[in-house]
Amino acid sequence: MSRWRYFFKRLLLAVPILFSVMTFLFIILRKGPLDPVAARLGPQASGADASRLREQLGLNEPLWDQYIRFMTDLITFSGESWVTRAGQPVAEAIASTVQVTVWLGFWAILLPLFIGIPLGFYAGLRPNTIGDYVASVSGILWLAMPNFWLAVMALAILRRTRGGWFGFDWYTIGPDISSLVGQSPSLAFDSLQGVLVDIKLILPAAIILGSASMAAELRIGRTAILESINAKYVETAKAKGLKSRTIVWKHIFRNALIPLIPIITNEAFILIGGSVIVETVFSINGLGRLYFLAITQADLPLAGSIVFLFTLLIVFLNVLQDFLYTVVDPRVGVNNE
Amino acid sequence: MSEVSGPTTDEANGPADSGVDRSLRERIRSNPRPALLWAAGALFLVALEFGRLLDGVLVFGQAIVFVIEGFASLPPYIGGNVEGVVAGVAGDTPGLLVGALAHDGTLLAVMFVVATLLQGYLPVRLDDVLGREMSRRRRIYGERLALTAILGAVAFALIYTPVGSIVDTEVGAWVTGVGILSDLPTLTSRELIPNLGHRTPGGGWEGTFMGLSPAWAWAIRNVLVWIYAFVCLAWVWRGYNVYRTYYREADWTPRDDTVKRFRNHYWGMFGLIIVFAFVVLAAFAPAISPVPADANIYEPYNHEFEYLNDDGEIETVYQGRANLLSESDGQGTVGPMSYDDFDRWMPLGTTPDGESMTTNLAYGARTSLIIALSAVGFGALIAIMLSLLSAYYRGLLDIIVVFTSDTIISIPVLVLVMMLVVIFQQSEHWLAEPLDGGVLLAIILGFAYWPGMWRSIRGPSLQVAEEEWVDAAKTYGQTPRKIMRKHMAPYIMSYIMIYASLLLGGIIITVSALSFLGLGITEPTPEWGRLISDGRPYIGTDSYHVSTIAGIVIALVVLAFNALGDGIRDAIDPEADVDGGDAGATAGGGGG
Repeated sequence: MSRWRYFFKRLLLAVPILFSVMTFLFIILRKGPLDPVAARLGPQASGADASRLREQLGLNEPLWDQYIRFMTDLITFSGESWVTRAGQPVAEAIASTVQVTVWLGFWAILLPLFIGIPLGFYAGLRPNTIGDYVASVSGILWLAMPNFWLAVMALAILRRTRGGWFGFDWYTIGPDISSLVGQSPSLAFDSLQGVLVDIKLILPAAIILGSASMAAELRIGRTAILESINAKYVETAKAKGLKSRTIVWKHIFRNALIPLIPIITNEAFILIGGSVIVETVFSINGLGRLYFLAITQADLPLAGSIVFLFTLLIVFLNVLQDFLYTVVDPRVGVNNE
Repeated sequence: MSEVSGPTTDEANGPADSGVDRSLRERIRSNPRPALLWAAGALFLVALEFGRLLDGVLVFGQAIVFVIEGFASLPPYIGGNVEGVVAGVAGDTPGLLVGALAHDGTLLAVMFVVATLLQGYLPVRLDDVLGREMSRRRRIYGERLALTAILGAVAFALIYTPVGSIVDTEVGAWVTGVGILSDLPTLTSRELIPNLGHRTPGGGWEGTFMGLSPAWAWAIRNVLVWIYAFVCLAWVWRGYNVYRTYYREADWTPRDDTVKRFRNHYWGMFGLIIVFAFVVLAAFAPAISPVPADANIYEPYNHEFEYLNDDGEIETVYQGRANLLSESDGQGTVGPMSYDDFDRWMPLGTTPDGESMTTNLAYGARTSLIIALSAVGFGALIAIMLSLLSAYYRGLLDIIVVFTSDTIISIPVLVLVMMLVVIFQQSEHWLAEPLDGGVLLAIILGFAYWPGMWRSIRGPSLQVAEEEWVDAAKTYGQTPRKIMRKHMAPYIMSYIMIYASLLLGGIIITVSALSFLGLGITEPTPEWGRLISDGRPYIGTDSYHVSTIAGIVIALVVLAFNALGDGIRDAIDPEADVDGGDAGATAGGGGG
């Protein structure tokens, strides 16, 4: 089973990468140009306060001890926030925000999947028709528009619906959220109404966060279909007299999924960065906004822990991608062994 | 390509000595007319904008000085650090001594690196100079060491003898000279076609070009700028054709097909035109802006101007004061294509600070272009060097590079960039000074994006390292550096070009996103993302133009870079004609 061996090799490689990221964080946050004491007390800090803090943070200990302490703090998420959630343990601060971000990410991945890929496949199955052009051009336009601008614009337009510009009021149509403006989803999941409100609160942000992925999925989906359609095995299937429905689903669709795997996992990668911006603009109380606040206020322990969490997520996604490849594409690992 | 005809009829010497070994200079000498005609046109175009060109040279010179100063600060920095560490362990005197040694050692190491780069261009060979046989390895290292010694001596002379101050004065005199020359009026300068003036009580305008209204004067200057820019573009294209028709030895090269494919690629041409317009906007920012940037944005309280007030009198007012009263902040709005209350022409309205949107957009284009180009250039340089080295040497080096790039790629780009920007800006690092953080951002982005570029050329460079011609060069005894430069680099250049052009759009989005969050470029340097965040509270009001225009411009430029990248990819890689490629997905999203 050489492809599984290849997969386990990749899995093992993830561990040293994690350590090297942590070491990088140590160098930047502890030994970088920004002195931790100055970050906490202000640039002109000196005297007894500064030296006490220096002692307390363990900055006078040997480098090796500092390194080990830093690493264990990161792995166990055990530091304490300095400014943003002053005094609160890092793990608690992260736990209180991570749900909302997962909720946002879930919809931001789901929506493009169900809009982008079908559109791309539609365009690919009807190349060079008006439908194809409209889908492709709108995908390209979507891709070029910066997320933060879309977010700002969408928010302004949604606020405008209150004045009855478009004949409906976003805040009262469907589940009423007019009393919840500017609030984050509660995610209690206690009633259907509650879930609908939660979805509605996150929907605009999720669509915009997923917009870049949607465009990329559309584009790749289209080319993937075009490539599979012209493949020899499709011709063979046609010659065998298979129903076109069977050809599309069994032969074209499955093979077109292969190039989409890295796109979908890569999108998750973009989503993490994008969530920082979108959550900040929509003031959603998620992990991305927490990171933005922490890093702009030089809350080094909190920011470092969140970066570490993001990295964990990405390394995990890479492993997942390898796993999916191993399952979907029988050719994986053949050339590498 | 109908132009490719008739070179043989023009050539006086006949085909006999149009052999392969004639240099370009000889080919031009044998048939100088087309080249001279083209050069005369080019010279005329340069003369029209000579002052602006010299301005560019001055700025470029300042950038080089900045880079050199950065490297020059390396030895004292390392020396100081080593001194501190050693002094802590072994006392002050040894600390001082070791620190000084570390300082000199670093200095020599930097010079050795420079010497290594220069060694290939030496006019003489060491064994010829010394007059004795030596092995190849020995000769090369000898030459490098000799060069290091010479550089060291020059540095010593510059630092410790009067020669340094003499050179300083000399350079200073030249800079002043160029500075004076750069004030020469140019075709598109605001001295030639001024658009700043005031109404006269009689109803006309004073101080503007031919007494026209500022709007018309500005429009005329702008039309001139765009005509000039596109004429220049056309002239460069003509120059390429002249070269191809009259002076190139081969009737056909693969590049002809690349160019032809690109010319027929309408999507790519659209991208090229918009990107060119973007570059012109950046390069001619002083001419395109209706109000000069230093008066309007940088030092509004050091610049006064006159206007006709409501009582029919000519009054003097500070730019800053006028800005305060022309803010587009929802209460009052100076929209696109209008004058503000002080009769300043605002083609795209004002910002919420009362500055001219056009000026901000044009100078913001400058900021974006400089950052994007230097970030991509920096990243591509690292990527190319590492991919060549790791493909050539393999082994441990390859593993280290894979490991490093995997590490950097494991942190989301935006998160990584935000962290580094904040760390450097809050510590008030000297790198964060120039361009209000622009240089810092370019370096950080280059650092964050090189692994992506490296991945995109890793496959091709591993492939080319296996080629027979590389083996042949090795057996022939060429140095590794020359093999990489001459036999491997050209092969991977096209791949990095495709990836880089797609990346440029992504970087522009990232920079504006950071500035939008208040992290990237800080005041007063204009930046598009900051325009969006400034105008954000007023989107629902009459002053919606600020965020809208800035966003549309960003989207358009990013779209154009993506289109250009697609075009280049399809032009370079003929197979892409068939399958319309997948490299696009790698860089398109951009993240912001």
